[in-house]
Amino acid sequence: MPMFPTDPWFQDLIAQINGSADYLEAAETWEGDITFLVEAEPDKGIPVDVWGLLDLWHGACRGGGVVDEARGYASAYVIRAPYSRWKEVVTGDLDPVRAMMQGKLRVQGDLPTIVRYVRAANELVHLCGEVDTTFPDEA
Amino acid sequence: MRAVVFEDEGVVQVADVPEPRVLEPGDAVVRVTRAAICGSDLHFYHLKAPVAPGDVLGHEAVGVVESVGDGVASVRPGDRVIVAFDIACGACWFCRRGQTQLCDEAAVLGAGTFGGDLPGTQAERVRVPAADVNLLRMPEGLDDERALFVGDVLTTGFYAASLAAIGPADAVAVIGMGPVGFFAAQSARALGASAVYGLDLDADRLALAERAGAIPVDVSARHPATALADVTDGRGADVVIEAVGSPTAFESAVNVVRRGGRVVVVGMYAGETVEVQLGVYWARAIELRFAGLCPVHAWWERSLAQVVAGAIDPAPLISHRLSLEDAPRGYELFDRREATKVVLTP
Repeated sequence: MPMFPTDPWFQDLIAQINGSADYLEAAETWEGDITFLVEAEPDKGIPVDVWGLLDLWHGACRGGGVVDEARGYASAYVIRAPYSRWKEVVTGDLDPVRAMMQGKLRVQGDLPTIVRYVRAANELVHLCGEVDTTFPDEA
Repeated sequence: MRAVVFEDEGVVQVADVPEPRVLEPGDAVVRVTRAAICGSDLHFYHLKAPVAPGDVLGHEAVGVVESVGDGVASVRPGDRVIVAFDIACGACWFCRRGQTQLCDEAAVLGAGTFGGDLPGTQAERVRVPAADVNLLRMPEGLDDERALFVGDVLTTGFYAASLAAIGPADAVAVIGMGPVGFFAAQSARALGASAVYGLDLDADRLALAERAGAIPVDVSARHPATALADVTDGRGADVVIEAVGSPTAFESAVNVVRRGGRVVVVGMYAGETVEVQLGVYWARAIELRFAGLCPVHAWWERSLAQVVAGAIDPAPLISHRLSLEDAPRGYELFDRREATKVVLTP
């Protein structure tokens, strides 16, 4: 099982996205790459920030994975949070849209656009939960 | 007389300079008994603000009044006094409302052109304009070192904590445990906070957090937002005092405060920028207060009372006690962050 937030984990997520008819329908007009910035929590096994990119386009993911800061920062959207908040998202314990509005997930990019795609965002989170995942603080 | 003067970028020396004298009816000349090197002195040390070779540095001092002008009523020769770092007129619209840092005639001792070209306090003597406003008599029995920081950094920390309107159930996070953070943490405790967390990544400053009575949080090992969430049932701190003055610290402050919480920014800013989602600030109903410079005159009697009562203790902050002649070494130590606070004795 891939460990969150490694490149193999993002590759599995990309495969889940591209196999999802529900995501295709919910995000069929979405254009823009999104980077998950998983902020370091050394005490939980994440010593440095991790930038995980998803090149999302019209309901599919054209590629991505763990990238360097420069590439991640250049994405249309960067969503950042400490590792343990992302873990709550992946496990379905944190509603992503509400978390964005409360600042628990901080968005760089046009927040209203993301919020308009609430169904796509929720489907994306659901797909995160479909990836068989291990976590560094549970290893 | 002898004084610490700027020589070149990263170089100060102790030199002979002209004796100060009373120039205006409101002036006093104070014989300095203790002065300190402040973080903001390093701005001049590194030429981040305009200062000319030969300018006398420093703005924190206590001493004894030697002479006064005809218009001075509140102090007289022989009085032991605390010197305000920011010099205010005491009469303008802002001063009358207690916002002396916004004074129409605002100046800062030892701060070069931006400070009004007033010679500083790292000297044997200093001229203090508008002495009735800018000097505070020291209570009997209070020693110089405990009073020294009341004219600047101690009261700045107290001011920041006071602006935050801390209540008895509040969990307070102080970002940056330098001298201002140290006093903000002590003040937060004195004002009744249920718990105070001191966030920093420097081991010496985390130790200082502990000496201030705060719970140290090492942000090199823990994410500040989750560290505060873990001790507040996931909410975040009720009050955050940002005492660094950097975009990273500002973002940390906003990230660790709870919804509906209060952030006081006392760290100093100049040209920095940050990108913010205004909707998130709005939805989270964050109270955000930029403290600006401390209007020390409006707060120093209250902070001094806390010192006299023992609720605020400056002693743990002082790492080095040097003679005035040894000030260049003091600057080097402070600049290398090997000193938390350097006290100079002329």
